[in-house]
Amino acid sequence: MTKFALLVFKNLTRSKRRTILTILSIAVSLFIFAVLVSLPTFANQMLADTTSSVRLISRTKMGFAYPLPEAYKPRIATIPHVVAVAGLVIYGGIYHEASDQFPSVATDADQIDMWSDWGLTGVDEFKKMKTACLVAQGTMRRFHLHVGQQIQLRGTVYPFNVTLTIVGTIDKGPVPSFLIFRRDYFEEAAGKPGIAHEFWVRVDDSKVVPEVAAAIDHQFANSTAETRSASEAAAIGNILGRYRIFMRLAEFLGLVAVVAIGLVAANTAAMSIRERRSEIAVMRSIGFPSWGILSLLVSESLIVGLSGGAIGCGVAFGLFKVFALNADALGPFVSLHVPPYVLAETLGVAALIGLFSAYVPARAAAKRSIVEALRLVD
Amino acid sequence: MTKPQNNDGSSAVQLTHVTRTYKRDEFEVRALDDVTLDIPRKSFVAIMGPSGSGKTTLLNLVAGIDHATSGRVAVGGEEISAMNEREIAAWRARHIGLVFQFYNLIPVLTAFENVELPLLLTNLNRAQRKTHVEAALKAVGLADRMGHYPRQLSGGQEQRVAIARAIATDPTILVADEPTGDLDAKSAEEILSLLTELNRQFGKTIVMVTHDPRSERFVDTVYRLDKGIFIGAEQGGRTARPTHATETAA
Repeated sequence: MTKFALLVFKNLTRSKRRTILTILSIAVSLFIFAVLVSLPTFANQMLADTTSSVRLISRTKMGFAYPLPEAYKPRIATIPHVVAVAGLVIYGGIYHEASDQFPSVATDADQIDMWSDWGLTGVDEFKKMKTACLVAQGTMRRFHLHVGQQIQLRGTVYPFNVTLTIVGTIDKGPVPSFLIFRRDYFEEAAGKPGIAHEFWVRVDDSKVVPEVAAAIDHQFANSTAETRSASEAAAIGNILGRYRIFMRLAEFLGLVAVVAIGLVAANTAAMSIRERRSEIAVMRSIGFPSWGILSLLVSESLIVGLSGGAIGCGVAFGLFKVFALNADALGPFVSLHVPPYVLAETLGVAALIGLFSAYVPARAAAKRSIVEALRLVD
Repeated sequence: MTKPQNNDGSSAVQLTHVTRTYKRDEFEVRALDDVTLDIPRKSFVAIMGPSGSGKTTLLNLVAGIDHATSGRVAVGGEEISAMNEREIAAWRARHIGLVFQFYNLIPVLTAFENVELPLLLTNLNRAQRKTHVEAALKAVGLADRMGHYPRQLSGGQEQRVAIARAIATDPTILVADEPTGDLDAKSAEEILSLLTELNRQFGKTIVMVTHDPRSERFVDTVYRLDKGIFIGAEQGGRTARPTHATETAA
C-alpha cells in the first residue's frame, strides 16, 4: 500500500493553502477541546483518589461561615473507630496582592500526620515551630517560594495578619495550591476564639466511615451547632458541586467546538472531492476499484484530521506546561495539565473528524457513474 | 452491415443486439439501438457519426465504463456485460487503455507518475514499474519529459502522455475518445501517426471515436453510426495496411 502513499501526499499538496488552513482550523478546535476536557479531570481525579479514604469531615449544618466549638473535638474522639481528630480553621489570607490568593488553613500541629498520604515534608519542624507552615508545590512554584522563607498573609476574614515560616511542602495534596499553618498560632492571634470550621476525623476502616459520620451527627443533634458529617469524597464532591456545572459547561463547549469544526472539515472535503470528480472518474476508468478510491480519499482526510489533532494536542500540552506555574490562579480545583488519556481522546476525535468528514462525499464520488462524471455521453 | 462473428479469437470486440437507453428527466433517450458489430483483433478502427449518434456510448460500452441496457458485449472473448462492478474494474485495469479528448491527466502528478498510475494496480515492483513507464514514454517520444507536470506540456505532449498511460499496462485494446479533438492540425496528425505506429508495431487493437475526417486515412475500417443505429462499415484510407489486421467489416 506504500505505493499509494505518494498519490495521497500529492493530493494533499494539491492546494497547500487549503490543506494548511484545514489542518490549522482542526488544530485550533482540538486545542480548545483538549483544554476544556482537561479542566475537569483534576476534580474527577481528586474525587477518585478519596473514594477509599479513611477520613471524614464534620462541618456545621449552617455552612462554612459558621464555625463549630472546639469542645466538639474530644467528644468526637470518644466515638468508636475514631483514631484521630483534627480541627481546621479556614483563614483565607492574601499574599502580596489581592490576586495572590490561595486557600490557607490552620490545623492542630499534633494531628498533622492525619494527612501523611499528601506527601508532607518538614513535619517535625511543623510540630516544633508555632509559626511554621507547609505549602503545596503549586503555590511554591507560582510565587517562587522556598523552604526557610518567611511570608506574611494578610487576613481578609479575620482582622489580623499572620507571619509564617515555610518549613516544608505538600507534594501530593488534594489541590495543587494551598497552605497549612498551626491552629494554636491562629488561636493566639485571634484571641482564643476556640473554634474550628471543620473537624477532620480518621477512622480505623473505610467501611465504617458512614457509621461514624452518623454517630457524630447524632451526638450533636439538637445542639446550637449541629453537624453534617460526610466521607472525604462526599465532602469534597459537595464543594466541587459548584465548580462542576462550569466543568460540564467546559466539556459541552469542547464538544460544540469539535462538531463545528467537523462540519467545516466535511464541507472542505466535499469541495475538494467535487473539484476532482473527473480525475476520480479517470482513475476508476483505468481500473481503480471504488473501495480503492474511497480508501485514498478517506486516507487524505484522515491525515489532515490527525495532523490537526497532533498540532492541537501539542500546543495544549506545551502551553499547559508553560502556564502550569500560574495554574492555581484559576482556583484550587483547576489544574493546567493535559492528561495522557485526554491526548489520546483528542487524537481519536481528530481521526473521527477525518474519517467522517470525507466518508460521505468520497463514497458518493467512488460510486458515481464514470460516464456521468466524465460527461461522456454523445 | 457487419455480421457478428463466432468467438473464434479473431474478434477483439463483439457487440450483439446491444441497446443502451438513458433516462433524462421524464424522457428515455435511446443512445444505441440494437447494434451488432465485430471489430477484428489488431485492427485500428474509427467510429464516426454526427453528434448524438451514440459513438461515445458505444466506446464506453467497449471500455467497460458503461453497461448495455440489453444485448451482449464481449471484448477479447470475455463477456463484460455479465461482469459486476468489482470484476469489471479489474478487467479494465488488465485489458483496456483509455485515451480521452481532454487528456485527463492528473495535474499534481508528473508525466512519469501519470503513466505509472495504472501500474500501481499491478503486482509490479518499483523497478519494474519504472521500466514500464520509461518504455511507454519512450514509445510516445517523451522520454525527456518524464519529470514535467501536465501544465508544463503542450496539448499534443499531454495527449502523448495520456497515450503512454493507456499503453503502460500493455492492454489488449486501446480505446480513444476524440483523441485529436482538442489539438491543432499538426498535433492531431502526430497523434494519429502515433496511434498508427502503436497498432502497427505492437499489434494493439485501437478503437477510436472521432469527428475528424482526416482520421479516415489512418484507420483500417470506419464504423458509422447515426441516431444510435449502426449504419455500416467501410474501409479506411490507410495505404500500407498491417499484415496482421483481420478484416471482418463489410
